[in-house]
Amino acid sequence: MTTRTLRRWFVIHKWTSLVCTLFLLIVCVTGLPLLFSEQIWDTFVGDDDPPYEVLPPGTPNASLDVIVEKARALYPGQIVTSVNPDDDEPAVLVSMAPSWQALKDDENYPDHHSGHWIKFDARTARVLEQSRPADAPKEPRTWTGIIMGICNQLHTSLFAGLTGRLFLGAMGGVFVASLVSGTVLYGRFMKRLPFGSVRRDRASRLTWLDLHNLLGAATLVWATVVGFTGLVNELQTPLFGLWRVTDVRQILRPYANLPVPSQDHLSSVQAAFDTAAKAAPGNEVTGLSFPGASFGSPVHYVLWTRGATPLRARLFTPVLVDARTGELTGAYPMPWYLRFLEISRPLHFGDYGGMPLKILWALLDVVVIGVLVSGVALWAGKRRIATDARLRALGYDLDDADDLPALVEGTR
Amino acid sequence: MNAVSPEIPTPSLPVSASRHPVAVWPWPIALGLLTIFGLLSALLGQHGVWLALSWAALSIPLIVTVACVLRAWCRTPSVKGGQS
Repeated sequence: MTTRTLRRWFVIHKWTSLVCTLFLLIVCVTGLPLLFSEQIWDTFVGDDDPPYEVLPPGTPNASLDVIVEKARALYPGQIVTSVNPDDDEPAVLVSMAPSWQALKDDENYPDHHSGHWIKFDARTARVLEQSRPADAPKEPRTWTGIIMGICNQLHTSLFAGLTGRLFLGAMGGVFVASLVSGTVLYGRFMKRLPFGSVRRDRASRLTWLDLHNLLGAATLVWATVVGFTGLVNELQTPLFGLWRVTDVRQILRPYANLPVPSQDHLSSVQAAFDTAAKAAPGNEVTGLSFPGASFGSPVHYVLWTRGATPLRARLFTPVLVDARTGELTGAYPMPWYLRFLEISRPLHFGDYGGMPLKILWALLDVVVIGVLVSGVALWAGKRRIATDARLRALGYDLDDADDLPALVEGTR
Repeated sequence: MNAVSPEIPTPSLPVSASRHPVAVWPWPIALGLLTIFGLLSALLGQHGVWLALSWAALSIPLIVTVACVLRAWCRTPSVKGGQS
């Protein structure tokens, strides 16, 4: 490698790192509590749901039609918007609203919440819990909620919505560039140094440099994977938007102008779940939204199904069932870019290998923080050396003897 | 990354035993492959032994890092600003 190209790589590494370091520090630090958010919620807030009735194992679930009927009887004149069986509890969440129009109007008034939900026991179809009425006084926020909320906002969007997401995505890209250039420089600087040596008997700059190299080399692949998948995650809004205006629009075109039928005359919800399970073999059905939902068709139930293995758990396949006849219209696997997005999620969250994997994720995250801090120390140290040299050149007498070796190292 | 200014090539350094070229890449590549294996084995394997292998593979880069740092801190008691 010529000195010129080396210098170029060095400049790339310096600037890409400087640009993204602050944001990466924020993301690394806020990521730690998010990694354990489930445990933190359980420890500090706990679950205040009523306990589930103890029923003999193997008790069959009630028909979803019975549950939907009960919900409609509780709020006559309202519409059901969606039905979602819980992932790991025997419960079914039914969401309702006065009308689709009321939900649409909510978007213009941030303090309007006309939608509400009812939680049923999936086996007995008994009401377990309901959302707080919109006019009830607000529940006091817990410290856990406030802190986790702040971490989540900082981690995903820096409190800046879509702009913040895209910005952090760009920072993820810059981070990957900094890792690549850092790897090139590593090859150059480690030519005469055995792996993992940390020189402590010489200038403190060299200790920082060796630490930066060692920590960086050990976590290089992990940081690249988590950085890149983080970048992909930040692109989810535009990617889903792209899907909506291309494939989804194409599929729904024949139905777009049909009127939304009254909910009194729709086909069976339970049968729609069964149809969807057959249409997407190997998948489990996680929810159903009623005809007329903003994302969907005026005459179809949209059923969301997902893979049953960790790798495919976030791969959603929507299934359309005609709500007038109960017949299957089709299953629509997502396009490749959304599949890629969904596969990259577990690799970013580290939530697919039990508690030990989460702990390893946290430790690797701490090591990456070490890489960032040592990088900043190297940059700041170099700046100080340059400043000191300039001051000396101007005739200032700096009686800080400790800095001399560092200066020699830095300018050799 | 910038202790040795990139403008000046290093051969001017005194040649001693530790200054001979060493193989740079075997260790980083090995640790990188272990990381990839660890990330994928839990994702694709999902069960018992694959999970355990994943935890083991992902621990090794961390263990190596800690070992290197400990070795450096134990072998050479800090000589702040020592002359080179």
